[in-house]
Amino acid sequence: MYDRPTLNELLDAVRVHLEENIIPLLKDDRKLYYQTLVAVNMLRIAGRELTMNALHMQAEWDRLNFLQGSSGTIPADDDEARQALAERNHRLCEDIAAGAYDQHPRKAALFEHLLATAVEQLQVANPHFIQVLALEDNERDRRR
Amino acid sequence: MPIPTDFRQRITEYLEAVTGSPVEIISLQTMAGGASRDTWLIHMRAQGQEERLVLRRDLPTSMLDRTLDREQEFALMTAAHAAGVRVPQPRWFCSEPHILGEPFLIYGYVEGVSLGAQVVSRPELAEARRRLPEQMGEQLARIHRMDAASFDFLPGPRPGYSPAQEAVLQVRAMLIRLGVQNPTLAFGVRWVERHLPAGGEAVLLHGDFRVGNFIVSESGLNGIVDWEFSRLGDPCEELAWPCLRDWRYGNGSLRLGGIGQREPFIQAYERASGRTIDRKIVDFWEILGNLRWAVTALSQANRHLAQGETSVELASLGRRSAEMQLEMLRLIAEQGV
Repeated sequence: MYDRPTLNELLDAVRVHLEENIIPLLKDDRKLYYQTLVAVNMLRIAGRELTMNALHMQAEWDRLNFLQGSSGTIPADDDEARQALAERNHRLCEDIAAGAYDQHPRKAALFEHLLATAVEQLQVANPHFIQVLALEDNERDRRR
Repeated sequence: MPIPTDFRQRITEYLEAVTGSPVEIISLQTMAGGASRDTWLIHMRAQGQEERLVLRRDLPTSMLDRTLDREQEFALMTAAHAAGVRVPQPRWFCSEPHILGEPFLIYGYVEGVSLGAQVVSRPELAEARRRLPEQMGEQLARIHRMDAASFDFLPGPRPGYSPAQEAVLQVRAMLIRLGVQNPTLAFGVRWVERHLPAGGEAVLLHGDFRVGNFIVSESGLNGIVDWEFSRLGDPCEELAWPCLRDWRYGNGSLRLGGIGQREPFIQAYERASGRTIDRKIVDFWEILGNLRWAVTALSQANRHLAQGETSVELASLGRRSAEMQLEMLRLIAEQGV
């Protein structure tokens, strides 16, 4: 057990420091200003990943089980789980390339899986992107 | 960014050599540019005349695997200018390494803004945005009419391959080189391979024709810059490219670069080029464009991860790839998976 600050709190402390003390000093150097905004955003991504990673790996594993007709459980160890997921994804890529998902209903099942995976990636990388898409979809549906 | 006095001195000497008269540099400042080059705005006075020039210099690395060098970019801009395309007037190209270290080109400054976020949002550009779709269509037709045969350096589809087949080959090669096993990208490759349009002529493409590479003033499109990705390809590819969501700068419901709808752009292109455009093929290229940009983003991150180019900007692109992946899936869904 480590003393606080927790990992999330460490990331937040660095981020707030950059935002409040460093970025205001960089207004005259456009490149460095922009790069530091990017760095701040990366800290946000890292924080969200810490919170959501376990949940997303489990969800991806369960969907792969459904897709590949398997019932194995995800390894408890984080690194092993990551490795196992990478191997399953490698196999899935090979199957896709070989045409195993060209026909319905497998094609539709794969598509749902990919959509869910992309959305999960963006919940970590850029939640704003998904929110904007949802607003846009609502607006379009309303006009129809 | 501090400017080394030496840098200013070297530019002054260069300009004096090419103009044959004493030159005074009134100001020298960096302009927004990409990760592969730096761009400088030069305000100078020579023989009592003030002039604004833009200097673009290669940095030792390049953004993509296949880019033109400054000399080739200079040749293209010169030809485009002669063909009546709205490009800043190219002035000088210098390949002498002892002047600024890397080759550079200099062209006339064009008034306006080019940053995409400003082009889609500035209130004073509202009228410009109304005009842009037609101007873009008309300009693109002019570019596609340029004589590709006079540029032997332009990359193009290998013999026997259509532009779309060539693009898929390149995406696959990039995935293999990166060792990426991403099912969404594998699915994208598979989908594109199974929906390849028949044939497709190869014309001269600008290569990165989109908001962000246009200098826009209140009257509209004033200059088309960034010719370094020029190559031979399908005209429909370049009608689709400015429609990619990433080039809408947050204005997602306006499909054409966040400034307008696609249809007036394509119609203006059809009128100016005499071609009849199959919208379905443009749809196909928008999907392929997102696939290609999704993979390119990973490739850019790899430069930071594996190629020793430490850069927070390059690294960040790796996690942006999912935006293009999701967009690609949504566009495929519109076609009925």
